[in-house]
Amino acid sequence: MAASRKSRATGPPRPSTTLVLDNGADTIKAGFVTGDKTHAPRVIPNCLARDRHRKTYVGSELEKCRDFGEIAFRRPVEKGFVVSWEAQKEIWDREFFDDKAPQRCDPSETRLVLTEQPNALPALQTHCDQMVFEEFGFASYCRGVGPAFNAYQDIQAIFHTPRTPETPVDIPAEVILVIDSGYSHTTVTPIVQGRPLHQAIRRLDVGGRLMTNYLTRLLSVRHFDMRNETFIANEMRESVCYVSLDFKGDLEKTWKGTRGERRDEYLSGAGIAKDYVLPDSHTTFHGVVRDYEPGVSARARKAAVSTEDILTLRNERFVVPELLFNPSDIGMRQPGLADLVMQSLSALPIGLWPGLLANIVVVGGNAKLDNFIQRLQMELLERVPDECVVRVARPEDPITSTWLGAANFARHEHVERLTVTKQEYEEHGAGWAARKFAAGLPVET
Amino acid sequence: MNNFGVIEVASTATKNTPGWAYVPDTGPALSAALQPANRKRAARKQAALSLSDLSAREETRIRKDLETLDRDSHRDANIPIPPRPGGSRAQNKHTPNVRKILQSQKTFANHLDDYQAMLALAESNPAAAAAMNAALTKPSTPTTAASKSASPVPTAASAGGSKRSAAAAKRAAAKEKQEQERKKARQTPKAEPEPEAEPQQQQHQQQDDQTDVEMTDATAPTEPTPTSAPEPTTPQPSTYPRESLILPAYAKPPPAAHPGDGDPLLVSHVPPFPSDDELRALMEAPPLSYLEARAAWGDEERRYPVRAFCAVCGYWGRVKCMKCGTRVCALECLEAHREECVSRYGL
Repeated sequence: MAASRKSRATGPPRPSTTLVLDNGADTIKAGFVTGDKTHAPRVIPNCLARDRHRKTYVGSELEKCRDFGEIAFRRPVEKGFVVSWEAQKEIWDREFFDDKAPQRCDPSETRLVLTEQPNALPALQTHCDQMVFEEFGFASYCRGVGPAFNAYQDIQAIFHTPRTPETPVDIPAEVILVIDSGYSHTTVTPIVQGRPLHQAIRRLDVGGRLMTNYLTRLLSVRHFDMRNETFIANEMRESVCYVSLDFKGDLEKTWKGTRGERRDEYLSGAGIAKDYVLPDSHTTFHGVVRDYEPGVSARARKAAVSTEDILTLRNERFVVPELLFNPSDIGMRQPGLADLVMQSLSALPIGLWPGLLANIVVVGGNAKLDNFIQRLQMELLERVPDECVVRVARPEDPITSTWLGAANFARHEHVERLTVTKQEYEEHGAGWAARKFAAGLPVET
Repeated sequence: MNNFGVIEVASTATKNTPGWAYVPDTGPALSAALQPANRKRAARKQAALSLSDLSAREETRIRKDLETLDRDSHRDANIPIPPRPGGSRAQNKHTPNVRKILQSQKTFANHLDDYQAMLALAESNPAAAAAMNAALTKPSTPTTAASKSASPVPTAASAGGSKRSAAAAKRAAAKEKQEQERKKARQTPKAEPEPEAEPQQQQHQQQDDQTDVEMTDATAPTEPTPTSAPEPTTPQPSTYPRESLILPAYAKPPPAAHPGDGDPLLVSHVPPFPSDDELRALMEAPPLSYLEARAAWGDEERRYPVRAFCAVCGYWGRVKCMKCGTRVCALECLEAHREECVSRYGL
């Protein structure tokens, strides 16, 4: 009895290792934080994949896969939220808990910091909490809105704000606006002192997946059927797509003209056309981008080197990412990204606008698109009052940015205030834990 | 004219003579005039005659289009979990909750529908919703109790004596009751937050108005801002309260005063900063639901017509196919399209 009272008083020892997980729809970003040391994260494909020889790959085993032709995926995360825990558990088990797992850890001695997308369904959140404690048995756990973790980084370094070395770094950053453009969707999250302003979070249902599918459709109409080659299309999108700064002009340059007409810009490619050499899945397994060679028609080249399949990509390169800025191009009744930001701002007092507009951080895989930042800044400048400074920037690696923020958060004192220990969970139940996470960090003073 | 004694009586039915005409393409309302009133043949002719932009048919087509674009893969990938390389691990027993979650075959759409249904129920019938909610949360409470009995903590308690565990059970029961009551209370005044939010919004509105006013007669030099070196004599502007604790003011001393600072043309104007209470309200506001957070078209987006593209090459869709209404850019693409159109709709 005395022993039990004592253990209650001190509680279990604070776990020294923290597993930081950014469980995305396309990839998991995972790494450990021990003490004050942050280990570099691993980026793990979050899927079960089956190739045409009916061999199945789980998570990071996909690296061993050579032939990506006709590969099929099953993803545990749908629309940014873990839906199929059966698959997710298998991937987590193999990555973190099995004896030979590449990032092995003992959950009963580890704290878990898990990111989730904003505006989750309560049922799915409960599932997540239950799995973490009742199945995996983590010692303590903290679930937070993914974009908000970005505030725990040196934001001004991302903007290259001129400053003296002795200027203190604000962690969490005071006011930022995070645009998270990932595989399933794009969200706009205003954050004050590390706390998301929930009333102003807005979502646009355009993400990497939709863009890949759109590219696949365009190619299937214009070239050949790619509908079973999602992986190749995805690779192609990542390597050739860019955001156009002058959509009308670029579209004009890539037009072949009316019947019989041969426009110079079309023939020369105008710097936009690119050749994409498809993998033949015998000798090459990844596509290669080449500059377009005008004059030599694709057919002639094909005859000379018969093994290569070449796609010439023209307006596909910029029409696909254009969906982020004009979703109505495919009939979607949603505003473009710049209008999305304005809708989010309009839910906030005008006094916060200058601060938010001057600190816009774009994270997520789509932030890697060329000119994304410039285009967004351009469109925002057209919409905001003249006096406002608009600064848009992306971190060095937009994909692991949220993870890095979460890792900093795991070392910050805030983490203690947000975690739920296994003991507390067993005592108070899942509902209590869900409420604690939903309330977020208490606002001091 | 020999009509064999048949006299034509003036009829109301209009005759549809085949042919064509240039018609201004103004909007969806037009199709009604072009559509034959003959219902019998309508179904057959629909494919060929609809010139409208956003008929119901078009709408469904777009919706289906978007659905296919949003799907993860072209085929339904049903990949079973492969067996472990090193043989299956000793399966530890799952708790009932975990078993339920692992076996669930629900998709995100299913979960979303469930949630919508629950919200709808809460609006129409608060009592039933509370009961359902209790039923939903119930499985979690017993399991927590179950896991508690399985976890090492209560072993000491059971050794310690039944008095304590009984007290704990009582406390838990009381808590559960309390929680249910609270839930009920939360469910019933579903509309309550809105009246609460409204004054706040009005407040914002007022503030916006104020800022607008301030911005229009912006030349008033009595409004220095933190950036334009504040003289100690002028009162601190209310626009940036120094006493804000949530967002403290910039700590560094402002740059040295400049003679041009008082120039009304150079003064910069900062909208009033939200007060601490406002900020706190914003920071503590509960999350929106999944569908509320989805951005919808505002007035800004409705102002311009939707851009149309060539279905074949992706250039502007300047011409419509006479048969099916698909947009193409010019004759070359129209010919390419016609092949497909003919195979789909016939000649």
